[in-house]
Amino acid sequence: MSAFLARNRLIVLAYAGMVVLLLVTALFSPGFLSVSNMRSTVVLAAFVGIVALGQTFVIIGGGIDLSVPWVLNSAAIIMALLCGGQDLPLVWVMPLLLAGGAFIGLVNGIGVARFGVPPIIMTLATNVILQGLILVLTGGSPTPSAPALIQFLSVGRIGGFPVIALIWLALTLVATLLLSKAAFGRHLYALGTSATVAEFSGVPTARTTVLTYVISGLTAAFAGMLLTGYSGQAYLGMGDAYLFTSIAAVAIGGASILGGSGHYLGTVAGAMVLTILTGLLPALNLSSGALLIVYGAVILLTVSVGSETFAGLGGRLRRKEG
Amino acid sequence: MDLVTVNGLSKRYGGIVALSEATFGARAGEVHALLGENGAGKSTFIQILSGAVQHDGGSILVDGRDYRPANPDAAQARGIAAVFQELSLIPDLSVEQNIWFRHEPRTLLRTVNRKEMRRKTLALLEKYNFPALRPDQELRRLTLAERQIVEIAKGLAKDTRILILDEATSALPAREAEWLLKLTRQLAAEGRLVIFISHRMAEVRAIADRLTIFRNGSTVAAHEANAVSDNEIVTQMIGRHLDRLYPERVATATDSIALSVKGVSSGSRLSGVDFALREGEVLGVGGLQGHGQRELFQALFGATRASGTIELWGKPVSIGNPRQALTGKDGIALVPEDRRGQGLLLTKSVRENLTLSVIKRFTENGLLSRQKEAALVKEMVDFLRIKAGTPEQLAGTLSGGNQQKVIFGKMLLTQARVLLLYDPTRGVDVGTKGEIFQLMRDLASKGYAILFHSSDMPELVHVADRVLVMRNGRIAATLEGDHISEEEILRAAMLETKAA
Ligand SMILES: Nc1ncnc2c1ncn2[C@@H]1O[C@H](COP(=O)(O)OP(=O)(O)O)[C@@H](O)[C@H]1O
Ligand SMILES: [Mg+2]
Repeated sequence: MSAFLARNRLIVLAYAGMVVLLLVTALFSPGFLSVSNMRSTVVLAAFVGIVALGQTFVIIGGGIDLSVPWVLNSAAIIMALLCGGQDLPLVWVMPLLLAGGAFIGLVNGIGVARFGVPPIIMTLATNVILQGLILVLTGGSPTPSAPALIQFLSVGRIGGFPVIALIWLALTLVATLLLSKAAFGRHLYALGTSATVAEFSGVPTARTTVLTYVISGLTAAFAGMLLTGYSGQAYLGMGDAYLFTSIAAVAIGGASILGGSGHYLGTVAGAMVLTILTGLLPALNLSSGALLIVYGAVILLTVSVGSETFAGLGGRLRRKEG
Repeated sequence: MDLVTVNGLSKRYGGIVALSEATFGARAGEVHALLGENGAGKSTFIQILSGAVQHDGGSILVDGRDYRPANPDAAQARGIAAVFQELSLIPDLSVEQNIWFRHEPRTLLRTVNRKEMRRKTLALLEKYNFPALRPDQELRRLTLAERQIVEIAKGLAKDTRILILDEATSALPAREAEWLLKLTRQLAAEGRLVIFISHRMAEVRAIADRLTIFRNGSTVAAHEANAVSDNEIVTQMIGRHLDRLYPERVATATDSIALSVKGVSSGSRLSGVDFALREGEVLGVGGLQGHGQRELFQALFGATRASGTIELWGKPVSIGNPRQALTGKDGIALVPEDRRGQGLLLTKSVRENLTLSVIKRFTENGLLSRQKEAALVKEMVDFLRIKAGTPEQLAGTLSGGNQQKVIFGKMLLTQARVLLLYDPTRGVDVGTKGEIFQLMRDLASKGYAILFHSSDMPELVHVADRVLVMRNGRIAATLEGDHISEEEILRAAMLETKAA
């Protein structure tokens, strides 16, 4: 058990941070811990968590995906347009858009792995291109409302549980299996730790890199569709917030932004922390500008608490005592 | 009086005892060799001396005054600098920027005085007769050996009274190693103390005035160098009598050709190499450094592009990348030159490193079986006698010889039976060296085919069945039987170079 704690210290820290934050928030707004409020917090966190799933894989592999906002947004808007408020077209629209997200990821991955484009440039470029395409496509006009089925997936409940929380749980399971129980996970950690060593060890580095971006494209597109259900409509700019939160969730969850370490279980805590924080801050009755400042500062603090430097410092302190 | 006196020095890393009650004494004006097997605690000892880590117990006196540096700068202030095994240079800076890093000469405006820096660099390089180095060259363009030399220059750049060299010659080709030996004598003659760690007995013999031997973190003996025999030293180092370093050369080569290479070329460094390696054979590759040995090994492993024909076990293959090289029973595996940069994931466990190339083999229905993995890891750790606390210990914290064993284990877990060993004993202690040579012979007798490069010529002479001597990217000679000797290798490696 202590070995487990040592190895996953940063993940444990992230969950500890989450619990502390919950308690603090409950102090400021007593209703916060109510069942209904927790339910809506989890629903909101699920969107962050699903986008951050792909981001986790990309970051562990040593990359970063800045194209998530407009992959998400494109999937949302195109789904709304193609379905026209009807459920039936979803049968082909959903697979189509998931494939579309995967395709964008494929392009990102090939750019990075085969042509050596730095991940930041590559994914930023696809992000901007998608943004342009969507603007051309919609001409800025509003889209039809979301199909009922999608609304059910994002705000409905089964036996009291939000459907999306169940989806998130299932995805968490899949991600955990991939990272901890599949050869792919080993290859991924090796790649992020040292691409040269991985290459010399026979790890399919290019394929592994491409796969991470494909996963990220998939989860961003999926989150876009679900988010449309949540807001009832798709609109321009709805993905913008997810660039920052998806990366922050991974970092708060204990992954090194340089790759090679971290786990999706940490990211889950990271998504929760971020969402609880957005719930806490309004309760403090601050102006919206001040809110943003506090939000940013708290995230900075949380990330550095979880970072290697801090862990190293903690280690040093402990050794001094011992 | 001794310049440095160490008593009862101890250091633990969690449950691992790196040093326990070590003692040490050395005078100004001497070259003092520090000997011991891998893992004996030598590096830990000098990391403490140079302020890179702090000890848990014991005392150090320098000039009779208490000494406990909190960091390398504090050590520097007392005139102590170390050249570490793990290089500490910054790839994006130039040679001179690295040498003077954080101690750059300044102008009145506190900006870096480039002219002065250049002048001081050239003066330093000249004073100690450094092998050709261009001060403005970017570090990332240098070879491992050249980087090691820059590291030495950096150690000398400040006013250093005690210079510590941790296996500094292990990364150097023969000529540069010789220069370094002269340099240590020069420094000692200037009244400095040089603490010198090396696994090469001949070097120690050539320069050391006195020597201290470590075993399992403790000091077992200190000698005047001329009052002790090689045999006594080795026995004290490994704590038992080592019968022989080189195993008996039993001919196990069969007629079946494992690897056939025809007209393999790559860039300007490799131009038309032909040879055949047989099953059960240990084929040495020698010659002066930089004559295509590195490129040959990388080309065969698919790590660089090459043209020509390669056949494995009679079948033509095209190896585009290491992954293809490692695949299948007809594969080809490599122990790479750069242990830490190419061979090991330093921040991952021994287990993860060992199984990285074959992780697919432990999956059932796509899921990893940790039991299966653990069983094989244990088998390999036992077989190679890898000294690690547990298989979960991080590879980066193992001593050099044990790191190399992990790389061997990783290679042996693949099914490849053609093995490329690029300088596998570099920075490895005698005991482990002996184990590696024995392992090579055992593998050969089991039908493996081994291509073996060493920067240490006696190893080629005593271990290889035949030796290919490379010159200017070609095979200049193939030596067999009685013709395998250091003289013959050198002759073949150099003769035409002179004529040309
Ligand atoms: N940072 C570390 N963490 C854990 N163990 C370590 C660390 N550094 C060294 N050790 C262990 O301490 C012992 C001594 O190592 P070292 O001083 O590197 O030996 P040497 O230089 O003589 O080969 C070894 O068993 C090594 O594994
Ligand atoms: Mg060492």
